[in-house]
Parts: sequence; structure tokens; C-alpha cells
Amino acid sequence: MARLLEVKDLKVQFKTREGPVHAVDGVTFHLDAGETLGIVGESGSGKSVTSLSILRLLPMPPAQLVNGTIIYQDKDLADLPESEMRAVRGREIAMIFQDPMTSLNPVLNIESQLIEPLQLHLNMSKNEARQRAIELLEAVGIPDAPRRLRAYPHQFSGGMRQRVMIAIAIAANPKLLIADEPTTALDVTVQAQILELIARLRRDLGTAVILITHDLGVVAGVTDRIIVMYAGKIAEEASTDELFANPRHPYTLGLLASIPHLDEAVTEDLQTIPGSPPDQLHPIAGCPFQPRCPFVLEKCKTYPPYMAVGPNHRAACWVDVTDPAEQERASKRGFIPFRQIRHGFAGESSPAGMSNA
Amino acid sequence: MATVQSDQLLTQFQPNEITPELARKRRSQFRIIFDRFTRNKVAVAGFVVLAVLLVAAVFAPIITGQTSTYDPPNDPNLSIALSGPIPGHPLGTDDLGRDELARMLFGGRVSLAVGILTALLTILIAVTVGSLAGYYGGWVDMVMMRVTDAFLSVPLLVVLFVLARTFSDGSVPSIVILIAAFEWPSVARVVRGEFLGLKEREFLLAARTLGANDLRLMVRHILPNAAGPIIVAATLVVGDAIITESVLSFFSFGVRPPTSSWGSMLNNSRDFISSDPLLLYLPGIAILITVLCFNLMGDGLRDALDPYMTER
Repeated sequence: MARLLEVKDLKVQFKTREGPVHAVDGVTFHLDAGETLGIVGESGSGKSVTSLSILRLLPMPPAQLVNGTIIYQDKDLADLPESEMRAVRGREIAMIFQDPMTSLNPVLNIESQLIEPLQLHLNMSKNEARQRAIELLEAVGIPDAPRRLRAYPHQFSGGMRQRVMIAIAIAANPKLLIADEPTTALDVTVQAQILELIARLRRDLGTAVILITHDLGVVAGVTDRIIVMYAGKIAEEASTDELFANPRHPYTLGLLASIPHLDEAVTEDLQTIPGSPPDQLHPIAGCPFQPRCPFVLEKCKTYPPYMAVGPNHRAACWVDVTDPAEQERASKRGFIPFRQIRHGFAGESSPAGMSNA
Repeated sequence: MATVQSDQLLTQFQPNEITPELARKRRSQFRIIFDRFTRNKVAVAGFVVLAVLLVAAVFAPIITGQTSTYDPPNDPNLSIALSGPIPGHPLGTDDLGRDELARMLFGGRVSLAVGILTALLTILIAVTVGSLAGYYGGWVDMVMMRVTDAFLSVPLLVVLFVLARTFSDGSVPSIVILIAAFEWPSVARVVRGEFLGLKEREFLLAARTLGANDLRLMVRHILPNAAGPIIVAATLVVGDAIITESVLSFFSFGVRPPTSSWGSMLNNSRDFISSDPLLLYLPGIAILITVLCFNLMGDGLRDALDPYMTER
């Protein structure tokens, strides 16, 4: 598959009075055409900042792109002039956001918002654009599309609004869709429907997708590959199956262990990762996960190399967490040996997921 | 775009959102605002009075049968000067024997025109300055707001009096420009505040991801959201401008004869306060009622256009 996006050593800082906040600190990843990549991490891990810097939508200042290249096809988005960047936004790379309640303009009807990218990028006539808008609404599963065009955002439910957002995002046939926590603000059944919709559009349109989330359950069912971010750095990267079957970074282990299981009796407290996310204003030397890591060693004070630990599988950790001796050592610090995580539960039990079959 | 049968399945799981009753209840955005406005009886009364005044002023030539206050059949006739209400002159005549009703209507034309045109010009300047300052922030904001502050801190009447003598030729456009030059700063602050808040909203970021440029974001995405406060400010500016014009004209810095406004009529009738007080009361009350009605209507619009107002 053709390489669509290649981000190399991306560093983004926010200037504050107390000093720079290292929001994204040397992130490198790539994406092929038509591929779905999941970026997982907790709040403040830099996943949203990464995606916003791809589209160069961070307010600068205070944000500052300190280092790195963002090669999209042949262009380096990191130093493209703003006018050319505008031609990329919406046309080549589109984005949908977490809260469909606030990302639609409340005073414009759906039609004018759907038509916007068509007018901006495809120079469509009013009539053509209207026709296309109806098609788009139907494509994202909004019934009675011709009449709904005239409606305003507040007349839609949350799930419907997210469908409209997706329709707007795919209007100009972008090659890459960045979905920043697209289901976080929705209830669980609607979440599954939206994920199914994104997956279907990807199949039908061949759009590559970057799915950003803090919910491993969300990415499990729909992504080809997953990047786990922690403190602005990539902790681990692997194909989805590999990551769930054979996690190699202690942080990933912690994340997987903290997913509650419906098929287990609630006899104990929910698993958590002790401690809190690091302060990126004063980053500690070496691996940022040290203070919370049960596997921590003296040499963690220097940042571990980003090592290949398997086919298409890399992790930034000194420790081989699969080594029983290491697990034994870590269990003294509260590590509970890793249970096999059954994945693919996102959507599997939902109505939308069933329609897949 | 191929549709898979999952669409049908999806819609099956969607409860039909629009029942016939709901569809009947659904109102357009305009209708909702209209309904909310009409529920405020005082504001509606203000609107009705203003409508009557406007119609009377616009159709003054038809109502009075003359094209100016000097025209036949009501030529100035000194023999009936200061007559008080008499047949043919329901509101009496002024010191030159001109029909007072005609003078009130033609004077109202000038006062209302000054008020409305000033509001339009004020909004134009204020939206330009306020949106640029609020949207771009930084030094643009800094410079524009300091200019605004400077305008707000001058002793208004003194400067107006001086400028009226030097800059204005007593015509309506010159008065409009003069008043608007000092009305825009307060409205610009309102607009800036709206833009400042709205530019941080997520739908703006969403519009930016579609490739919209700054101008489009300002005009198409932010401005409609700020329309409510701007419209309200405009109605209040109308009242303000009418008063300012009256003050200018009262001190004979405003429109010059033969053009007259309610303010200049007040000025003319000062001498007759004991002999024919009606000449003083009429323009005074007209100003009072007009400004009051604009303010009441403005309040009503403020409530009607505020999306956070709950239905009453």
C-alpha cells in the first residue's frame, strides 16, 4: 500500500510562563492509504495535539512546532504556506471531533454546513452541491435526507449530529479522516453505530482513518494498527491483534488490565494504574512512566530505545515484560500477571456490529 | 456511494424521531424568535408605536398634502402664528404660522433618519473594528481597543459641538457621520466580546478543518452567532443617536433651517414656553416616546434572540 502520511520526530511545545510544556515529544509514525490507525492514550498524552498539528490547527503561539516533518504524499505539511494548507484541510485531510453538540454551528442549517466543503474545494454549483449533500446524508444513514437538510443542529440527537459531522468531513472525498474521540460524547449503543459507520465508509471510500481515543475497546474492533502514547511519546506500536495478544510495554499492560470485563463477577476493585500522568512542564529524565511502572529499573533513567520486539511491533522499554523472572519481580510492586484479553468486543454485541455479518 | 443494507438495519434501530405531532410543533428559527418576542407585550407595544411613527414620517407628504413645511396649502401665514389647535391645524401653528402637525412629521423624518442611519453606520464601523480585534487578538486587538478607549474617554458633547461647527454643514449625512463617529466604540466592544468568546468554540475549529479562511470564518461562522447582541445594540444606538441629534440641534449645532428635527423644534420653541407650551411639549414628548420605544423593543429583542432564554 502506498504511504500516505509519514510523521517524523514531531515535537510540539506550548510556551507558558513557567516554561515550555512538552506536549508531543518526538513522535514518529506512518500511515498507508486506506489504513486505520488507532492512537490510544490518556488525557494529556499528546494524541490530540499530534492530530491537530498534522492539520496545523494549533494556536501558534502558544503552541510551537519545535521539530519534525509531516510528509503527506509529497508535501511537508510542517512548512506549507497557510494558503496551501487550507487546500489540504477538508480536501485531503478531514477531521471530526469529540463533541458533536459543539462542533456544528448552531445558527446555520445542516445544508449550508454540508455545502461548505463542496463550495470551498470542489467549486460545485448550488444545485449540484445540494444533490451531493442529500447523497452524503443518506450515506451516513440519516433518513428523510432532503427534508433534514433544512434542519438546524439542535433538532438532531447526539448520534445524528455526529453522523452529520462525518458527512461534512467526507464531503470533499478526503484521503485521510482524523477522528478525535468521535464516540466519547455518545452513549454506548450509538458509539457502536458511529464506529460501524466509520468502518463502512472506510471500506466504501478507501479513506485512511486515524482514530484517536482513550478507550482501547473502541479501537479494538476497527483498527489495523495501534499506537500507544504516553507523556507525548510513543510507548508501543503494533498491529491490533499483536498488541492485544502480546503487549510489550508496561503501560500497555496496565491499560489492558484496567478494562473491566462483563463476564467476570465484580468481586474486586477495578484495576487501575497507580499514580497520575506526568507533569510535562517538568519532564523527568528517562522513561516518563518510571514512577508508575512496576517493572522499573535503574537504567530507566535513560530513555529506552524504540526497539523492534516482533514483526511490526515496537516498544520503548528496557524490560522484557514477557520474561517470567521480570514478572515475578514486578508482582512484588503490585503487578498482577497479565490476563489474556479477549478483544473485538467493540461492536460485536451491538446492532450495528451485527449488520456487518 | 454504495449503501449497504446496514443502512436499513440502522434506521430500523433508530426510533422514528419525527412523529406527526412533533413535526407540527416544529417551528423555524425565525418563528421561535418571533413567538418569544410577541410574548413580551411591552416590547410589542414599543414596536407598534414605532411602526406608526415610521409610517407617519415616511408618508408625511401624503398625510399633510405638502412636500415641505413651507408648501401650500399650508403656506406660512403669520396671521395665524402661535394659534394653538384650530380647524385645519389640529396641533396649532408655530411662530411663523406653519402647521405644527406637518412640522412634527417632517421633523420626525429627520430625527428618525438620523437615528436609523447612525445606527447602520455605527454597526458597520463597530462590526469591522470589533470583529478584527476579537478575532485576531494580540497587537491588532491592543491597538484597536486603545483607539476605542480614546474615543470613549473624550468629553462627548464638547467635542461634538466643536466638530459640528467645523466639520458638519448641518446636513443629515454630516450629522450622521458625526454621531456615528462617537457611537461605534461601545458597540465595537460588544462585538469584540462576542468574537472573543465565539472564536474559541469548537465549531469554529471544525470549520477551520474544512479549509475555511479567516474572512469566511468571521463573516459566515461567527457573525451570525453574534447577530443577537449586535441587533440589540443597534436598536439602542438608534435611541441614543436621536437624543444626541436633539441635543446638538437644541444648541443649534445640528440640522440647519429650513431643515428641522424634533431637537431643533425644541430649540425654536424655547421662547414660547409660556405663550404656547404645546410647541415645546410636542417634540419633547415625541423624542421621549421614540427613544423609549426603541429601548423597549431592544430589550424585547435581547430576550427573544438570546438562545439561553428559557421558554416562558
